[in-house]
Amino acid sequence: MAVRLNANPCRLLGIVALTILSAGLLAAQDSTSQRALLDKYCVTCHSDKLRTGGLSLQGLDLGHIPEGAETWEKVIRKLRVGAMPPQGMPRPDKAALSGLAAYIEGSLDKAYEANPNPGQATMHRLNRAEYANAIRDLLALDIDSTALLPPDDESSGFDNIAEVLKVSPSLMERYLSASWNISREAVGDKRIAPSTATYRVRPDLSQDQHIDGLPLGTRGGIVVEHTFPLDGEYVIKVRLWRNTFDLMRGMEDAHEIEINFDGARIDSVTIGGRPDFLKMAANPGAFGAELDQKLTVRVHATAGPHTVAADTVLRSHAFKDDLVKPFLRTTVDGLDITGDPSVDRLTVEGPFNSTGVSDTPSRRRIFVCRPSTQSEELPCAKKILGALARNAYRRPVADNDLEPLLSFYQRRRNDNGSFDAGIESALQFILASPEFLFRFEDDPADIPAGARYRINDLALASRLSFFLWSTIPDGELLNLASQKKLHEPAVLEHQVKRMLADPKSDALTENFAEQWLFLRNLKSVAPNLDTFPDFDDNLRQAMKEETELFFRSILREDRSVLDLLNADYTFVNERLARHYGIPGIYGSQFRRVHVTDEARRGLLGQASILTVTSYPARTSPVQRGKWILTNLLGVPPQPPPPNVPELKENGEGSKPLSLRERMELHRANAVCAGCHKVMDPIGFALENFDGIGQWRKDDDGAKIDASGVLFEGSRVDGPVALRKMLASRPDVFVGVMMEKLLTYALGRGLEYYDMPAVRKTVQDGAANNFRFSSMILGVVNSPSFQMKVKKASASATVAAELLH
Amino acid sequence: MRLITKKHIPRRAFLRGAGVTLALPLLDSMVPAQTRLAQTAAKPQFRMGLCFMPHGAVMSNWTPPGDAANLELSRTLKPLEPFKKSVVVVSNLAHKNAAPAGPGDNGGDHTRSPAVFLNGVHPKRTDGADIRAGVTIDQIAAQQIGQETRLPSLELAIEDYSGLVGSCDVGFSCAYMNTISWRTPTVPMPMEINPRVVFDRLFGDGSTAQERLERIEQERSILDAVTGQVRRLQGGLGANDRNRVAEYLDTVREIERRIILAEKQNSISGINVPATPAGIPDDHQAHTKLMFDLMAVAFQADITRVSTFMMAREVSYRTFPMLNISEAFHPASHHQNNPARLEQLTTINTYHVGMWAYMLERLQSIKDGDGTLLDHTLMLYGSGMSNSNIHNHSPLPILLAGGAAGTMQGGRHLKYPEETPMANLLLTILHKAGVKQESIGDSTGLLTEV
Repeated sequence: MAVRLNANPCRLLGIVALTILSAGLLAAQDSTSQRALLDKYCVTCHSDKLRTGGLSLQGLDLGHIPEGAETWEKVIRKLRVGAMPPQGMPRPDKAALSGLAAYIEGSLDKAYEANPNPGQATMHRLNRAEYANAIRDLLALDIDSTALLPPDDESSGFDNIAEVLKVSPSLMERYLSASWNISREAVGDKRIAPSTATYRVRPDLSQDQHIDGLPLGTRGGIVVEHTFPLDGEYVIKVRLWRNTFDLMRGMEDAHEIEINFDGARIDSVTIGGRPDFLKMAANPGAFGAELDQKLTVRVHATAGPHTVAADTVLRSHAFKDDLVKPFLRTTVDGLDITGDPSVDRLTVEGPFNSTGVSDTPSRRRIFVCRPSTQSEELPCAKKILGALARNAYRRPVADNDLEPLLSFYQRRRNDNGSFDAGIESALQFILASPEFLFRFEDDPADIPAGARYRINDLALASRLSFFLWSTIPDGELLNLASQKKLHEPAVLEHQVKRMLADPKSDALTENFAEQWLFLRNLKSVAPNLDTFPDFDDNLRQAMKEETELFFRSILREDRSVLDLLNADYTFVNERLARHYGIPGIYGSQFRRVHVTDEARRGLLGQASILTVTSYPARTSPVQRGKWILTNLLGVPPQPPPPNVPELKENGEGSKPLSLRERMELHRANAVCAGCHKVMDPIGFALENFDGIGQWRKDDDGAKIDASGVLFEGSRVDGPVALRKMLASRPDVFVGVMMEKLLTYALGRGLEYYDMPAVRKTVQDGAANNFRFSSMILGVVNSPSFQMKVKKASASATVAAELLH
Repeated sequence: MRLITKKHIPRRAFLRGAGVTLALPLLDSMVPAQTRLAQTAAKPQFRMGLCFMPHGAVMSNWTPPGDAANLELSRTLKPLEPFKKSVVVVSNLAHKNAAPAGPGDNGGDHTRSPAVFLNGVHPKRTDGADIRAGVTIDQIAAQQIGQETRLPSLELAIEDYSGLVGSCDVGFSCAYMNTISWRTPTVPMPMEINPRVVFDRLFGDGSTAQERLERIEQERSILDAVTGQVRRLQGGLGANDRNRVAEYLDTVREIERRIILAEKQNSISGINVPATPAGIPDDHQAHTKLMFDLMAVAFQADITRVSTFMMAREVSYRTFPMLNISEAFHPASHHQNNPARLEQLTTINTYHVGMWAYMLERLQSIKDGDGTLLDHTLMLYGSGMSNSNIHNHSPLPILLAGGAAGTMQGGRHLKYPEETPMANLLLTILHKAGVKQESIGDSTGLLTEV
């Protein structure tokens, strides 16, 4: 919905008085009390003459609301969120306003129930995350899809929007290349050439702490799960961080650096101490090259995933350097070489002298049979390829589906390829096939164009699994769909609950929540080193982890989605607990804690959200206000006009102005004031949280003033009051979340005609205390999710042209 | 929407059983209608390889003694001895746009030197996203002579500074230092340091020529089968989805076109494709030589005709243990006129010139039409800085080599008046490449002697 908030009251106050007078006359023409209300409080500005905000409500017929649905949906939105009538203009009491909204909604929802419009669904292409998950589920193979495929464009806030998931030649080339690499790796093709995989540590990771996943009693380092394509020899190299003069950290004392493979130590190098330090000082390049050599180890690995790790063994708990290191971040000074050695990267090269391929998860998944004689080969190939195609195409396969697959198999087999090589060839075709890459949903042939119909069970199975799991359906879903049972309400509900309980529903956190809440931006935030010298990658990761665990707990425990705002618990590790000032939390692993500080409750108290809505060197009440308006209240502000002057920085010598004072100067500009009046008070309520979400009482020497009047009239004085205001309108918050969820589930931007479906999920959800599963079921049961309109078929000439 | 090609022989059947080095005659029907391969094969094709070094040079040891037509090599240029007949030393050129434009534009010489090197345009001072430089000659040439090859241009580099964000000059985006090639004034071309990635771009994945051919064959079969599958799917689709499928089929056809070009490369006889590199060699010399090998083979197989190579990055802290120099490149370049340190820097300069000489050797060893690849290539080597101790930009150390497809004579030292714009040479190179534009950057005319 492209409804934007612009709370400009009509500024021509002289005319206001006149219009109020004439409103009385208009009221006489309409008999209903709603019309009178509308005329008295709305048409003042939204008249044919003034058209404030481009909207006139003067001539709209309250007797035929559905005809003006697009406009009325805008009206409802403003009324429900409390943005209209704006502050400073006469307002009826709350009950009257919500009565008006309910009246309009009732009429629209009734019309929808009689004749729902499921909207237009365009054919989807799998996005990068879905592709990677599909490969995982199809072949039991974890791939780095970011290395294989380009990123997807985003629209309506998500990267799974069908309309923008286009194909291009370079994308197609990447798909072909990916299918080649993946099919070889999954089958374990003996001809796989040696290559190098490099895993880097972010340079702002502090390596004086234990890293989760590495052995206890170690500091810093990196741990990766690497898929080894074949049985053979591999070279593992660890490179320590060095500064621009090739000098390494921590060499003044002896350290033990170890390399582990599947949890067992395979190499250990003691480095550092006076002789080494002098050697490094004399010729850093040569010293570094020598150390690189020492930290190189050759291992024999079987094919399949293995854990490789490198870290520094903790020599003592006495942090002697802490005396001169006032900051938690150890990499504040890019030249500083005191402290602990830091791993910069880990590379795995190979395979060399490969001896073939042993049992791997992928081979177990693919080779469901093994031919022992020549005559068993073809039936076995049929069985293997039939199973792969069924999962990849997400439907039962017929003989004519198997035909091309078997011809790929046979050709390679006849061409002196092994049985496995034949399967690999056919698998490559499956992975490059449009039936795998696209989500086709056939229109039924026996209904006229323009008619509405329920999608078939197979299409429903795919929609469900791409929505809840971001991947292809599993066997159970496909079986139920093949038996045409999936759409039965009891079956469907059971399946949704099963899917939410499955770990694969983490995809809702990774793909839905991370995009809805802007968590994906965390990886690129770079708070200013001078302002926030403690901020390091450890904290960045912890922030993300907290919100992910938090969202996941609401999902898995089937809590009310209102807990996203209000929950009295969260998840922290030592680094984040120190950031929040929570005592008694030690160690790198996360645990659930009770939140005693009211201000820290829910999403608005979490450092992740507070950081992604800040600038590198300071908070941004505007960004925070905009974030809440957009993501929690559903009324995004208008984009700023061009040529907006920057905020004035505090100059030398003059009395420093607080951020609030400087922004008030900015707001003196009438062009800016309209939106900023709405955004700023929301953002200022969070001013006690600094640019990385730490609590503070003053800023730049000025005391924080978190008070203000919100656009809907309530007074707030900080995060608690703001949260209470948001929670006091559960229908608004839940409604916006449902809009986002429906957008994500359908893979398309919502239109005004989708709003009755959104309202229905909110109403049904309210009866279930807004439990997460009931909200998901609301989406799944909506006509938009389960129905489609048959499109006019393409003309014969277009079809002919398509096929040359 | 129809495929604009001549009638194709089914290549699948055609290629079956083909060995490692294919020597298939190029049948006319294998040449797509839109390319002019027949013509390009007949006439020697012009190639250009433009190499960049940071930190200038010790000019007293660089500049050859005479300015005669008979080139006498200086100490630093000694590694070029075997190719003297192909080398042109161009002296007294200047990049005045690499210097600060005035007060408020102080410093930044390390940033401007690479940004100006191939366009002569003063880059905008910004550390934001609004970067702006000039289109470089490699990209201008690629528009003209790069359109018939699979890769219009190839950008190579040696040093990876991606982990050092924030280490660039104050007030400048790192983007300026990370490349010497700009496709448009606002779009820098990323430079690739990993030979494996370069290799895959040139030849596709696969460790042997046999395997790459198999892959091409397989992809062709897949595309054929995909088209068949789509045909079956058409029936049930609505208009929108049909459009989407049409879009998809278009991409399939475009890939077919690329595969035809890939087939052509793989079917040229006598090319020694280097073994698939595993990744970035640890040894600097091996890394540099491998990148030159890849540039040479890309020229040879006509995969590209235009390449740039950043042999080191400005403010490089690489050390040279193999030269017994413990000082890093950038500190060494601030020699303070100390004789011992000048000696060190000269040794480093000579080492780099030696790397470039390796490329000339490669090119000379490869037959190309009626001569060698060196005869048909124009190689440039130089820096955007002169004296690194004081960061000035005149006179620049600049070398040319190669026959440039019959447009250049080697064995000469051309000494121009002081402060002659380097952009004049850039313009001259463009003209040799067949791009007759009137000016570039601060150019004032052509260097006809070159």
